[in-house]
Amino acid sequence: MTTTPEDLKYTAEHEWVRGAGPVVRVGITDFAQDSLGDIVFVTLPEAGAKIEAGSPCGELESTKSVSDLYAPVSGTVTEVNGALDANPELVNSDPYGEGWIFEVELADGQSVDGLLDAAAYTETTHG
Amino acid sequence: MTTPSLLTSPLHARHRALGAKMADFGGWEMPIEYSGTVGEHAAVRERVGVFDVSHLGKATVAGPGAFDFVNSVLANDLRRIGPGKAQYTLCCDDATGGVVDDLIAYVKSQDEVFLIPNAANTTEVVRRLTAAAPEGVTVTNQHKDYAVLAVQGPDSEALIKALGLPTDFDYMAFATASWDDRPLTVCRTGYTGEHGYELVCRWDDADALWAALMHAGEPFDVKPCGLGARDTLRTEMGYPLHGNDLSLDITPVQARAGWAVGWKKDAFWGREALVKEKADGPKRTLWGLKQVDRAIPRPHMAVHAAADPSVADDVIGEVTSGTFSPTLKLGIALALLPPTTAEGDVVYLDVRGRRAAFTVVKPPFVKVSTR
Repeated sequence: MTTTPEDLKYTAEHEWVRGAGPVVRVGITDFAQDSLGDIVFVTLPEAGAKIEAGSPCGELESTKSVSDLYAPVSGTVTEVNGALDANPELVNSDPYGEGWIFEVELADGQSVDGLLDAAAYTETTHG
Repeated sequence: MTTPSLLTSPLHARHRALGAKMADFGGWEMPIEYSGTVGEHAAVRERVGVFDVSHLGKATVAGPGAFDFVNSVLANDLRRIGPGKAQYTLCCDDATGGVVDDLIAYVKSQDEVFLIPNAANTTEVVRRLTAAAPEGVTVTNQHKDYAVLAVQGPDSEALIKALGLPTDFDYMAFATASWDDRPLTVCRTGYTGEHGYELVCRWDDADALWAALMHAGEPFDVKPCGLGARDTLRTEMGYPLHGNDLSLDITPVQARAGWAVGWKKDAFWGREALVKEKADGPKRTLWGLKQVDRAIPRPHMAVHAAADPSVADDVIGEVTSGTFSPTLKLGIALALLPPTTAEGDVVYLDVRGRRAAFTVVKPPFVKVSTR
């Protein structure tokens, strides 16, 4: 069974968001990493890049396939997890911790309130 | 998740119990991975892994002259080997020389040849052989009579020995044996580039044999391995996969599989077309590509001559197989490129709009250790 921590917010595209702003941390869920298989290459957004909620902002590749990483919120990327360059498998081994992907400063008027809570996200993974 | 129309191996319940991710391989629901492709790949390169490849086809050509019949239709020269030996060969289309399937032929005697075609192509190979077979020679599709377990890696010999099975024969040879009073065939074959064996057992014996391999493999830290790892392992060797690197549209001359064609033979399917193509020179050939820029190639990506993504009319070829090499930790590919291509050339793959540089190399990407 995969885990879905109660203290995070989620998107239907399997990203998690930690914090309420102005800067939030983003990664992919345990369910997502398990479905993708061994992550071997992560294309990160660039620090300073403006990203828009629901738009692709990076890629996650396993040996077999490539998946888009979607921005869960709109804002400006403040930091990316450089450790994933050398150790992309951190996304598999610790998706909510060492395997975080980037941090974003919410754009004016943006909040995380509209994102899914753990129960609602879990619901989407049973579909 | 189960698609009812897919066929399943005799180990299906075991794969499920191990938590394998399953996928459709040529009409069969087979494991892609258990614990993870990268770890399973490493187990085969460093220790030993066991694959269920029961989806592979099995067929017997039997009757007086079976050997001569097979030799007169399949591409490789079967006279290069004798009884107890196996050979990689091709079933080509007689008109075009395109590849209907690549398969292994096991010579049992002058009157019996056992074939292992690919899962998706078995029916077609059997159909073509049946239609051409002379009087007295029968072709029998035995897809579900036998299961196949591949035991691959540097510790495979010790593991096979631990089951009391024979190991003392050459690469591409086989021996009949018995395990737990059950008959099986031990073949020194595989698709990983490692020293390895393929065990062909009766369908209903597969479950017990799998359990015995896992138990006897504990001291070697054996891993069940899925077809995801089988694909990364074979790609590192530059072994073609039918449907990707060989097909009805990709001839053995183009795929550099001419070593598996008996050019001196009087007859085999596709001979005329292939001899002509070889003499004229193929319009494209299969090369290896190794990443310069970080990127993972995928089948059907376009190969460009220019680094600039705004140049549109510079497509020179196409990726036929591509993956991340867990051994090299680099993107690698097999690609069809023009005849002017040379080793060391730099080409550019269109990776979703960005152009990534790759160097043209001769496979294998990783040292072959089959012997």
